[in-house]
Amino acid sequence: MANGQPTRDIRAQRSHWLAHFMEGWSVFIQNPLGKGGIVLIVLFGLMAVCSVIPPWIDPMYRPMTGVDPDILCSTSPSLRHWLGTDFMGRDIFSQLLAGARIAFMVGVSAAFMTVVLGTAIGMTAGYMGRFVDTLLMRLADIVMVMPTLLFVLMLSALFGQLNIWTIVLIIGLFRWPGVSRVIRSQTLSLKQRPFIEAARVAGASHLRIIFRHIMPNVLPLSFLYMTFRVTSAITIEAALAFLGFGDPGTVSWGMMLQWVWKTGHMFRAPYWLLPPGICISLITLSFYMLGRAMDEVLDPRLRKEEEGS
Amino acid sequence: MELKRFIFRRIIQVVVIFFIILTALFLLFRLAPGDPVDRMVDPTMTPEDAERLVAVLGLDQPLWTQYTVYVKNFFRGEFGSSFHYGQPVEKILWARLPNTILLFTTSILLSALVGIALGKVAAWRKGSKVDTWLTIGSLVTHTVFLPWLALLLIWIFSYRLGWFPITGIISEEVWLDPDAGFMRKALDVGYHMVLPLTTLFLIHVGASLLVMRSSMLDTLKEDYILTARAKGLTDKEVRNRHAARNAALPVVTGVGLSLAFSINGGALTETVFTWPGIGRELVFAVSHSDYPLAQAAFLLIAIVVLISNVVVDVLYAYLDPRIRY
Amino acid sequence: MNDQRARGHGQPEKTEPDVLLRVEDLSVGYRTRRGLMRAVDGVSFTLNRGRSLGLVGESGCGKTTVGMTLMGLLPPNGQVLGGRILFRGEDLLLKTEEEMRRIRWNRIAMIFQAAMNALNPVQRVQAQIAEAIRTHRPELSEQDALKQVEGLFQLVNLPKNRMRDYPHQYSGGMKQRAIIAMALSCSPDLIIADEPTTALDVIVQHQILEETRTLQQDLGISILFISHDIAIVADVCHDIGVMYAGQLVEYGSREEVFGDPGHFYTQALLASYPTITGEKRDLIPIPGETPSLVTPPAGCRFCDRCTAFESECRLVTPAWVDLSPTHRVLCSRCLSP
Repeated sequence: MANGQPTRDIRAQRSHWLAHFMEGWSVFIQNPLGKGGIVLIVLFGLMAVCSVIPPWIDPMYRPMTGVDPDILCSTSPSLRHWLGTDFMGRDIFSQLLAGARIAFMVGVSAAFMTVVLGTAIGMTAGYMGRFVDTLLMRLADIVMVMPTLLFVLMLSALFGQLNIWTIVLIIGLFRWPGVSRVIRSQTLSLKQRPFIEAARVAGASHLRIIFRHIMPNVLPLSFLYMTFRVTSAITIEAALAFLGFGDPGTVSWGMMLQWVWKTGHMFRAPYWLLPPGICISLITLSFYMLGRAMDEVLDPRLRKEEEGS
Repeated sequence: MELKRFIFRRIIQVVVIFFIILTALFLLFRLAPGDPVDRMVDPTMTPEDAERLVAVLGLDQPLWTQYTVYVKNFFRGEFGSSFHYGQPVEKILWARLPNTILLFTTSILLSALVGIALGKVAAWRKGSKVDTWLTIGSLVTHTVFLPWLALLLIWIFSYRLGWFPITGIISEEVWLDPDAGFMRKALDVGYHMVLPLTTLFLIHVGASLLVMRSSMLDTLKEDYILTARAKGLTDKEVRNRHAARNAALPVVTGVGLSLAFSINGGALTETVFTWPGIGRELVFAVSHSDYPLAQAAFLLIAIVVLISNVVVDVLYAYLDPRIRY
Repeated sequence: MNDQRARGHGQPEKTEPDVLLRVEDLSVGYRTRRGLMRAVDGVSFTLNRGRSLGLVGESGCGKTTVGMTLMGLLPPNGQVLGGRILFRGEDLLLKTEEEMRRIRWNRIAMIFQAAMNALNPVQRVQAQIAEAIRTHRPELSEQDALKQVEGLFQLVNLPKNRMRDYPHQYSGGMKQRAIIAMALSCSPDLIIADEPTTALDVIVQHQILEETRTLQQDLGISILFISHDIAIVADVCHDIGVMYAGQLVEYGSREEVFGDPGHFYTQALLASYPTITGEKRDLIPIPGETPSLVTPPAGCRFCDRCTAFESECRLVTPAWVDLSPTHRVLCSRCLSP
């Protein structure tokens, strides 16, 4: 049991991982859900990137503050305003583009935070076992029971209007139990494997084992669950904004819906009501499809079965 | 008998969790910026009333005493007085509770049962047009944005077509009519419930359907399905009596896991449809800084979620003998 | 024996009262991505009433497929390519699904591997057996069916007080006994036992085999015993059929096949098993792999692994050689001993 053995093992694990990734990619790209999901996400990404263009063309296209001096009320789509204007005369199309930017920001940051937290907790619980494990999993039970949206509502009642980053933080803090559970069981099964035993015998510290051996094997799962977390993060932020508790300085799609609703335009202005709702739903759908396609990659049983016995 | 012990253990767990939430809320209220007293006592009250309330709620005492008073009050049902309604909070909430439970329970049951039935069909006809449409339909309804869906439904069915009322749980005339019997009132409530129920139903049925579908596909590969066929049972009997019975279990688990998500949806639905339930009260209270009402509403919602969790767990244990024995 | 008879399309053959099952030139294939896999190729054998036949071979040789085809339980990608299955004089392959349903369990029952999840985990054991009974005798009440279950439990040495239990509460041996009880529940003429003792520990294995043999003799049921273990089959069955790569390569009585194996594969099989009695000798595993069944070789399929291989074996389709009136071998090199 010299130093050579565990290191070789790690290297073998790593290149294995890359090969797995390439194989996974080919399965992923064949799946219609994966293809559709990627296409949609790229589309939204383009929207987000293009959101800087309209204000650059003319200040009246600024989503939050830009007001068309000639039109000070809600109008239907025209050449000047592709999706019409809202009740203050602001361009809806540029608001939509800006909303894409916010959606990605919120979705990805919150999901990232959730996954980092969930993976860390899951790995620790799985690896440490016993008391630490029980404690963490009980904590997970409690957090999982909490309706995130309503809790954030309470917080905003107490602490005043919340800013977008605070919202992202809280969402990130609440969704980790789902991830940690899966990571924990994965860690538990990995713990039994011989290469972990070998590393331990070679004198690796617990931290080292966790980071160099367990984490690379657990990360694909983390990423899978990250896609699902993006969907819930976006939905929660949109719901908050819809109810009027979002960050008043940001133009998110939920905020747009709030304006339509609260200003009584929802029955009169379909060009205003429909686009933000469609966007929220579609981006949620696309990340969900992405997640399902990745699911198939990670769980070979889900792949199209071979015929014959 | 195992079942009784199981229920008992779950209830203990739930009580502990609730206490933790209770305490967390307490600390949160005290930690937030501003004077806690302002939060619990309506500034428009007379000074004498205010003083009395402060004494009842123990707001002038040291922290530990405050906590014990807080807990005691909770069990006595004493939550203080709502700023907005000017009435004791518990009276308001008790009136709202049945409305929420009605909507919540019906939507969950309906979406689970229909999801199971349709998921079974989708799995059995895997690859066919029916299956494709059901799967696509589930994906779409599962990811559509709930408040927006609610607004759409109102727009199309209430505003444009005039088939359903736009808001509320019951029409004024019916509610106030002294001659209207229980049946008449119940029907009217049902009539008002159609759109909110449809919204919640659509959002949740997709998840159950997809879970049932994949669970059914897995179950159909099991050995005991082969046994059932070998015994000479018809395909229908095999599907329903053996496969579906087993495949439905993960759906129950799934429903249990998504209860918090469901209650979020419930609150949003209640708000858009002006359905007088606890969720709506919470949103309302928060937007009007009505702290006593908000706090109590939140706690009540937490209780509803916790109890639902226990109910689902018990149901699962009842359905799966491997847990019980 | 119950009185329900399945009326089929096939005309009953000239009645040979002793012959229960006659399989003639049966071929079954599976449609796979790589093509049609001929899992069973031209297999023929006969099983008389009250006798037991063991089908032996390594995994993938097609023995399970034969069993499944008899029951009409092939998976969706399986199809019968040719041949006849004459059961009580009627061709099962010509029967409709409804007719097969009435035959299943009623006339031909199946015993599965113990390791399999053959019992529904959420149903009580007694209910599953009662279900089998009431499917074929719907006039019986639940009570009567349960009474019969009681009798069956006694027959297989299962304690009556365990009737209401769920399958996960049973040990492996108990589960297997329950499966046997269930197979006997409709008093079938034929039982197909597919690896019934695999995954049981040796002692339980022995018990079950003993009990199976006793039951078979007492009740006069014919058994088709499918196994990869020639030793077990030789213990329990009157006749043995050896299968390799989808073909039947040797067929004869237990004494003939076990005592004087004609085919080189059979000899190799026997040589690869340890024995307690007799002199100590080296175990000789059979090297190589089975040939592809999508494109089977023209000549003998065992060529690549045969110890007596000659170049002509590859080219010439082997023919059946009769070593005795009851013992035949499929081999071009195996001339009379």
